[in-house]
Amino acid sequence: MYLIKNLQYHFMKDLGLPALMRFSQRTKKRRPKKLDTCFGPPLTSTGRLKEIMTRHYLLSRYAEGARPVAWVTSGAPVELLRAFEFYTFYPENHGALCGAQKVGSELCEVAEGKGYSQDLCSYARIDLGVCFSGRTPVGKLPKPDLLFASNNICQTVVYWYKVLAYHWKVPLILFDTPYNFKDIADSDISYMVGQLEEMIPVLEEVSGKEFNYQRFQDVIRLAKEASLTWGEVLATMKARPAPMTIFDAFGHLAPIVSLRGLPVALNYYRVLLNELNDRVKKGIGAITDERKRLMWDNIAIWYKVRDLSNRFAERGMNFVAATYTNAWAETISYLDINHPFESLAKAYSLVILNNNLNHRFELMERLVKEYGVDGLVIHSARSCKPYSVGQYDIKRLLMDRLGVPSVVIEADIADSRVFSEEQTRTRLEAFFEAMEA
Amino acid sequence: MAKREEYIDKEKKEKGKKLFGIFPAQYPREILWAMNVLPVEIWDPPLEVIHANAHLQPYICSVVRLGLELILQGKCEGLDGFLFPHTCDSIQNLSSIVSDYLGVKKPCYFFYHPKSPYQDSSRVYYLEQLKGLVARLEKQLGPLDSSQLKHRVQQGQEVARVLKQLYDLRVQGELEASNADFYRVVRRGEYLSPDDFLPLLEEFLAAAKGSAQGGPAVIMSGVLPNPKEILTLLDELGVRIAHDDLLNCSRRLLVPPSRADDPFEALTESYFAMPPCTTKDSSVSERVDDLLAKVEQSNAKGVIFYMVKFCEPELFDVPQLTGELRKRGVATLLIDCELNQNLSGQLATRVEAFFEMIS
Ligand code: SF4
Ligand code: SF4
Repeated sequence: MYLIKNLQYHFMKDLGLPALMRFSQRTKKRRPKKLDTCFGPPLTSTGRLKEIMTRHYLLSRYAEGARPVAWVTSGAPVELLRAFEFYTFYPENHGALCGAQKVGSELCEVAEGKGYSQDLCSYARIDLGVCFSGRTPVGKLPKPDLLFASNNICQTVVYWYKVLAYHWKVPLILFDTPYNFKDIADSDISYMVGQLEEMIPVLEEVSGKEFNYQRFQDVIRLAKEASLTWGEVLATMKARPAPMTIFDAFGHLAPIVSLRGLPVALNYYRVLLNELNDRVKKGIGAITDERKRLMWDNIAIWYKVRDLSNRFAERGMNFVAATYTNAWAETISYLDINHPFESLAKAYSLVILNNNLNHRFELMERLVKEYGVDGLVIHSARSCKPYSVGQYDIKRLLMDRLGVPSVVIEADIADSRVFSEEQTRTRLEAFFEAMEA
Repeated sequence: MAKREEYIDKEKKEKGKKLFGIFPAQYPREILWAMNVLPVEIWDPPLEVIHANAHLQPYICSVVRLGLELILQGKCEGLDGFLFPHTCDSIQNLSSIVSDYLGVKKPCYFFYHPKSPYQDSSRVYYLEQLKGLVARLEKQLGPLDSSQLKHRVQQGQEVARVLKQLYDLRVQGELEASNADFYRVVRRGEYLSPDDFLPLLEEFLAAAKGSAQGGPAVIMSGVLPNPKEILTLLDELGVRIAHDDLLNCSRRLLVPPSRADDPFEALTESYFAMPPCTTKDSSVSERVDDLLAKVEQSNAKGVIFYMVKFCEPELFDVPQLTGELRKRGVATLLIDCELNQNLSGQLATRVEAFFEMIS
């Protein structure tokens, strides 16, 4: 059985799906795209991105039984799992996709119907809604053999994954990353290294494969290069006009989250980087009249990305930096193939959400200066307490110290029911006025 | 006994104790006792929220909101420091707001406890965390006297032993005290020195021994018994809280004794032997087993999940717990409210309906 599934998986991966996708591309009726005059020409790499992510989700249908399947949180050190050839699925990325396709709220309602409070993170509610109903815009999710979570982004993922462990009756591995109240101490690093070492026998058992150190190092190298390239991609937005908007970057983030450590992610970012550099050389901007440059704080409002993107572009305002997209580039330089465990511990525990708010403020201050930011839009995301608690103070400090005007949008990442059109419009109008003053 | 504020004031002025404001939930209080510090826990100060809303979104729990309000209203001026254990995302960020943004000119200490499932690395780490905390405190408070620590660890075990006795009597229906009295006394430990808390517990134990009223028994799960009106309402209905699974009560107070001679080893052993808890990421199965055991021991007819609104750690586990309990014929009631608010008429009616169901 395993052999057949494995053959099927590899056939679909290397031949079947690429052929199917080529065919569907050719037969797809191309409706001429209405070009909005506020925007520059669309990025051609976006087509490749869609192809990669569609293939990833389609392939997941064949992964079950052919490869060990792990559901992984976005901040977990997936490099270790790749050394055991896990097929990895990212519920948060899937939650964002559901949000963007505007089916987030109805999946949340499924979880709420089972007793999960509406006050819980909507990524979690969406995922649980999918588990309970089997409904997903991607067709089907692969059943996990293992759950792999790290609390470096929030404690919420652990509560959520505990529910998954209970539901699927599979093991949950937690990578516990001590919060960086002031500084990460040597004892914190040893603790994390110890945990990574303790995971190996469990991973061997679940995957049925022996730990291959050489492969582990290769994965780390690939992950590091991909993240550094992603960092360079983001850095192109320092140019004036910026060749891309943060709203594009929210989409281009998918491979670094979901396919980190695989060659496909690195190759993709190289292609994207070339295109962006080329646009910088030619002076092509993401929006045609870039008059103001903004920074975004927190995760995207997935169901409103296009709408918000239009509203700002119409006024010549482009988002050139975000604390969120930066998260997958910020600490990865710590990765070191010669000290893989220690370096994983550092790279993953020093990410933005595992760090004190002072660190976040300093990062924002740096981004404001480096990217020439004129204003800040803060998304206060009801789902995400670690990202949102402290934002009011950050807003005040950025105004006091740097004179950067800002606005807070009270919303949610994927549950559109809490979005107030009226309140957002009023706040944005006041912000636009302040920006023009 | 003196009121909380008077008592704390006296401890500082007359006994020369340092006062530390402690945010929820788990921390090695014995270390503070040994360093002549009175830990004063901040769970649910009775305040009207005026200033905290400028710092916190409306979707943050009232434990965090009231704790911050206490600081912003200047009611922590007399404290000599703060300690923030790593309890949840909201406390985590609150610690940073206080220490990084408010300009509070007091030392802020942080305490990270490892999360479950525990491995060998967790034990080594916890022990190091204890020693690390001592090293940081020593810079402010001077050297720790190891014999004092040993004494305080023993005293902590004694407190836990008497509390266990009280809980056992309650489980068996052999404690006369009302729900309101029981929690009033137990919660005094949130600010009393063990030198005063221990005699108080013993006195209470001696006085309250006796048959409990005959109504149905329930278990209360959640963070803390607040709004307190629920306790009186249950008393009026004749419902006895025979055991609890409350974060600020049994989950951290009923610590099994350790035989370790070294006080740090003893504290470590105790931490890992504590009942399962959401703030330590205990698995759902462990929590189900623990609740079922409590239901069985006390012959409880139902479990009341008394939730603090927006408390993610607790709210995530509730559907599984209620599902498992109901499968076994145990009634459940979920109440979700803000601290220090009166129970609404609607809530009171739900509690009454629940009472009828289990009677
Ligand atoms: S949105 Fe926030 S709370 Fe939810 S999983 Fe992501 S980091 Fe955690
Ligand atoms: S009530 Fe819940 S969310 Fe609030 S501080 Fe306590 S554990 Fe955290």
